[in-house]
Amino acid sequence: MATGNHGGKRGFLERTTASFVDALEHAFYAEQTARADGLLQRLDARVKLVGILALILPAAAGRRFAVIGGLFAVAVVLAALSHVSFSVLLKRVWIAVLLFTGVIALPAPFVTPGQVVYHLPWLGWTVTSQGLTSAGYLVLRAETAATLCVLLVLTTPWNHVLKALRVLRVPAVLVTILGMTYRYLFLVLQSAHDMFESRRSRMVGELTGRERRRVAAASAGVLMSKTFDISSEVYLAMQSRGYRGDVSILDEFQVRRFDWIMLAGFSLISAAAFWLGR
Amino acid sequence: MHIPDGYLSPATCAALYGSAAPFWYVALRRTRKLLFTRLVPLISVFAAFSFVIMMFNIPIPGGTTAHPLGVGIASIVLGPWASILALSTALFIQAFFFGDGGITTLGANCFNMAIVGSLIAYLVYRIIAGRSAITSSRRVVAAALGGYLAINGAALCASIELGLQPHFFRTAAGAPLYAPYPLGIAVPAIMIGHLTFAGLAELVVSGGVVAYLQRANPSLLRFTAPGIPLPQEEAQRAARESGWGAARPLWVAVGLLLVLTPLGLLAAGKAWGEWTIHDFTSPAARQQIAKVSRNVAPPAATPRGLQRLSTIWTAPFPDYSPSFVRKPAFGYILSAMFGTGIIVLLSILSAWLAAKLRHGPAGADARTGET
Amino acid sequence: MSTTHSNGPVPIPVFDVCDVTYRYREVMALNHLSLAVKPGRRVVLLGANGSGKSTLLRILNGLCFPNQGTVRFCGKPLTEENIQNDGFGLDFRRRVGLVFQNPDVQLFSPTVFDEVAFGPLQLRWPEDQVRRRIEETLGMMEITHLKERSPHHLSMGEKKRVALASVLVLDPEILLLDEPTAALDPKSASHMIDFLVRARGGSKTIVTTTHDLDITEDIADDCFVFHEGRIVAGGPPAQILGDVPLLKRTNLLHSHLHAHKSGEVHTHSHLHPHEH
Repeated sequence: MATGNHGGKRGFLERTTASFVDALEHAFYAEQTARADGLLQRLDARVKLVGILALILPAAAGRRFAVIGGLFAVAVVLAALSHVSFSVLLKRVWIAVLLFTGVIALPAPFVTPGQVVYHLPWLGWTVTSQGLTSAGYLVLRAETAATLCVLLVLTTPWNHVLKALRVLRVPAVLVTILGMTYRYLFLVLQSAHDMFESRRSRMVGELTGRERRRVAAASAGVLMSKTFDISSEVYLAMQSRGYRGDVSILDEFQVRRFDWIMLAGFSLISAAAFWLGR
Repeated sequence: MHIPDGYLSPATCAALYGSAAPFWYVALRRTRKLLFTRLVPLISVFAAFSFVIMMFNIPIPGGTTAHPLGVGIASIVLGPWASILALSTALFIQAFFFGDGGITTLGANCFNMAIVGSLIAYLVYRIIAGRSAITSSRRVVAAALGGYLAINGAALCASIELGLQPHFFRTAAGAPLYAPYPLGIAVPAIMIGHLTFAGLAELVVSGGVVAYLQRANPSLLRFTAPGIPLPQEEAQRAARESGWGAARPLWVAVGLLLVLTPLGLLAAGKAWGEWTIHDFTSPAARQQIAKVSRNVAPPAATPRGLQRLSTIWTAPFPDYSPSFVRKPAFGYILSAMFGTGIIVLLSILSAWLAAKLRHGPAGADARTGET
Repeated sequence: MSTTHSNGPVPIPVFDVCDVTYRYREVMALNHLSLAVKPGRRVVLLGANGSGKSTLLRILNGLCFPNQGTVRFCGKPLTEENIQNDGFGLDFRRRVGLVFQNPDVQLFSPTVFDEVAFGPLQLRWPEDQVRRRIEETLGMMEITHLKERSPHHLSMGEKKRVALASVLVLDPEILLLDEPTAALDPKSASHMIDFLVRARGGSKTIVTTTHDLDITEDIADDCFVFHEGRIVAGGPPAQILGDVPLLKRTNLLHSHLHAHKSGEVHTHSHLHPHEH
């Protein structure tokens, strides 16, 4: 059956649906890895949250390549000890960041003023050392921060990450909102996915641009109406179990000696990184 | 438009978290007061919806697609404050869980997209929609424009934040530490993509969803249309006919804007504001500056601030001339903008012609809508 | 409480619905409806989809309030103001539990554990009591292995069990169940029915809505038939299920083409029989 393809290029329905599926897969993989028995998985979620944030900050701020590189190495070691597959890291983080930030950083060596180190043969463009440095910083920072963040998410059940936010004084109502959003995210994703799939199966031949836009807007509209219906029903369900506006969060966090040791380790590395990278 | 970690200096990140915080605080309080206990389920489910909307690929005239933010419809349906919360929630999950956008830059991203975006969308919508009926096509245009300006406002903020980085944060050797492109590159580079693709996607979604809701579920539009009664059956039927279709002039306006702006800027000679010290002293240049500045002559002496700043800028690199970097890049981008505008106008024209040929002169008018 | 009338005073009905009207978006969902639910009884509200039964359950659970008419809960009026009152409201919420038809709406917490914890936490029980009750309930419903799972990964049968658990954790005296076997596979449905049958003769009052005639006989002590927002008949299940014209009139019985082994094809109205 023909779908809205544009001369071989994937149509907008396919691409949108592919994003949905990708998101669902990512979540699934995250939930699996969080259950494995690795170093980070055994850590208390609050220690992990604070510890990894303490490593991300100097990576994003530091002014020395070696320091940021060192933090990246720490991330890689933690990943290895936590049974996070390198091929997944490669695909989901390292290559993705390279494609995104790499493309953005690409013109920098040619455009940044400074000491010329190289002349491109035909185009005559000049490459400056300052430009190379700048591009290097951008890519290295992005890779390190992204790796650390992904480590946190892959080794911790998401609702533990959220509950851990309380230790950073995030209000309980926001933590509850985030938890519910995450839960309903997959419901909405599924709804949207089903809607698009059924539309694809009913399409024969190509749609004009205008028709495609109308389909997109109508799908968004239907989804929004469903969103409101669901939220009203959820509200009733919450009230039915006694909800009066206060949110209470029950967690099963326990800090043991191992957690204190790791927290000390994180703090040490973070402090060193800040000091050396200032 | 999600800015990743490492693109903004810690000072900038902190400043933007600080700027976002009061808005978050007010948004939480206002929404609590308005929605009471309904707050949690409504914001949560709507944030989930925003997240999914950001994944939609919207086809743009010319054959490409782009991602909307959904900030337009969020503001119009929920009001600005709840929209700030819903979008911030979606951005948080995108950043932490899906790695789309940085964690140190979450404050900046929320400020640009959730806060500035929501406020612009809401204000533009309210101003343009005025007191028109809920099902009027004026509201569709208002929504579309609100979304378009919101996303561009957000993009402008982001581009300024990024563009300021190399001015202030460099190594001892002069290499930019964070985002490497100065304002002269960052602003046009980011704005072009948003004035054209992303902006059009947002425009389509904002206008399209409002048009859809006018037919299917007008009560959802009530919150931002206070005091205006819900339509009767007949008015709803009328909305079914007009709505998005009647907004064809909007497309033409956008296309013209894209074409004329670059032309206007090029015609004016040096881009306004991009003058160097030399321009202040050479008589020919001074005349030009006066012409584009509504015949107000530039100051006789170079403004001392500019002088000082420009020496800071050029001192380390005597051979470096700002214009070398800026003008070709800028001109290149301007022509891209111009080209896109032409494509938009051409596709509208060809669709209109095709409709006319297919249906005859009467048919072309009966078929509402654009490409 | 016994299920038969004693010689003592007539027990106060758990729910006393008097002449209630409820309008929703120009649709008259309940039309001057009256109903009394006696304590300890298992009541089934029979009706086709859209007949108003779900709306009545929500009114009984204090989630919406009628435009006209009154509802009393154990003699006290069930109104919007009374529910807001902490004393009455929290007591009501503990004693009356509603299981929604669509479990996705009821499972709004990130994990099964959080979901079952929600009710007790809202009622401000002490933490250790909350944890204990959660373990007990998860064990009773045989879903302990699902404790850390997210709702979107569960099957429909699992979701309904979690939804039931999230209500049972409060140990309510009155259970309201909206279409409990709808959309369930046969095995899960049979578990649900077992649960409802075993509750017979206990102290719980159970009000179930359904359009499934097959299970009614097993799970009902009293039966009421809904049609277009009114109750058109009431009585013991055997009597109601035997009244074929009534069931056809209220869209509870169907007729369709029927092929017999002999090759004969005809239509007649029927229930699908089951063996005992």
